[in-house]
Amino acid sequence: MAVYRRSSRTRYVVAVLVLAALTLVTIDARSNGSGVTADVRSKVQDVFSPLQRATHAVLRPIGDFLTGAVDYGSLKRENQRLRDQVASLERLRVQFAAEQAAAEQVLAERNLSFVGGIPTVTVQVIDDGSSNFETFITINKGADSGIASGQPVVAAGGLVGSIESVSAHTATVLLLTNPSYVVGVRLAGGNTGSVEGTGRGRSLNVSVITTNQPSPAMTKGEPVVTSGLNNEKFPPNIPVGKVLSAKTPPGASEPDITLTPLVNLNRLSYLQVLLWSPQ
Amino acid sequence: MSAHTLARLRIAVLLVVATVLQTALASDLRVAGVAPDLMVLVAVLAGLAGGSEAGAVVGFFSGLLMDMFLASTPLGLSALTYCVIGALIGTARASVMPERSLVVPVTAMLATAAAVLLFVAFGEILGQGQLLDAGGSWLIRVAVIEAAWNLVLSLPIGWLYSRAARGSVGSERFGMTLGLPRQRERLAGIR
Repeated sequence: MAVYRRSSRTRYVVAVLVLAALTLVTIDARSNGSGVTADVRSKVQDVFSPLQRATHAVLRPIGDFLTGAVDYGSLKRENQRLRDQVASLERLRVQFAAEQAAAEQVLAERNLSFVGGIPTVTVQVIDDGSSNFETFITINKGADSGIASGQPVVAAGGLVGSIESVSAHTATVLLLTNPSYVVGVRLAGGNTGSVEGTGRGRSLNVSVITTNQPSPAMTKGEPVVTSGLNNEKFPPNIPVGKVLSAKTPPGASEPDITLTPLVNLNRLSYLQVLLWSPQ
Repeated sequence: MSAHTLARLRIAVLLVVATVLQTALASDLRVAGVAPDLMVLVAVLAGLAGGSEAGAVVGFFSGLLMDMFLASTPLGLSALTYCVIGALIGTARASVMPERSLVVPVTAMLATAAAVLLFVAFGEILGQGQLLDAGGSWLIRVAVIEAAWNLVLSLPIGWLYSRAARGSVGSERFGMTLGLPRQRERLAGIR
């Protein structure tokens, strides 16, 4: 067993570093995400972003391979499920074509802005959350591409989150699973509600806000979209999630509704930032 | 340039490389939604190889680099956690740990789990209650899977760290644990 003498210098160094860290925490917490610490973060991210992009491009296939190896069983089942789903969707496609034409006509008449051409910027995820307690990701474009704080971010399935902070060449996206994230949604029967995140990898909670009688009767798997009401942060009709459970507790008038995000937030690659802001 | 300065430069380069890998690749390696944490592993290895001072210094800077890429926690929280973990591992290494070949992976595993809990505990003390919003089961899952990842990664990264730290004051005293068998024999002869 090795025995070594701890010098007073070591204690001094450790104490200074701990104090320095505590000072940084205090300064950053008091500046509320702005000020000198935010500037330093932004500059460091800009310096690292070319290295991150290059490393991500080169090593992503290795990551995909390892992920595939780890998830082989579930990927095989998922593949079979998707094949069945494709066959089923193909049958429905013809049936829906006519209904879609009619729906588009109705949407055009109601002047829903999301259906109209909101300009978008295609971005790539370069940091999918460095820590396991993060509900933020970093994308490879920033203010230079017209991206600004608050803009909605979507993927093929629906809403991913919104822009939290922007530097020149990168931006941080707050994921909709963040506990502080709130988005207004439309519910069945003319009701509206707000969706709140509960943490990475967890379901979303829905609070019913305005109620038309009867209270919203949601069924499992039913899609939920943004409401786009006045002063909302998002345009209407962006898919947010599908109903995971909807049960009315004994004695309660409103159901407890939980959603699963439509986008797999653990495997994000290319996203679209909507260059949209509330009117 | 002295051997000590060269060793410090190599460790600085290793920290930058670890940061790039952590931010660009680690999130692709998620198991059950949990990614490995290379930065805490570097802090633990520094403590093992160089003692409490090296563990604290390397841990502080590895945590600070990690903090640059975290948006939901204040700058300095990871630096504080990794500095304390690096120092504690260095102290334990000097006083209670036996010279065994498994000391590196086992210590990396236990220290990583401790670092996860310490990070959340410090966060709670410093007003970052949102870290517990995801619930106790998520915290346990993160601690267990991160620890398992670092158990595996400690072998290749430990070897790399021992190469980078060659020539530093700490590694002359503590480097045997991370060194190759031949290196250990040579160092043992010197002692």
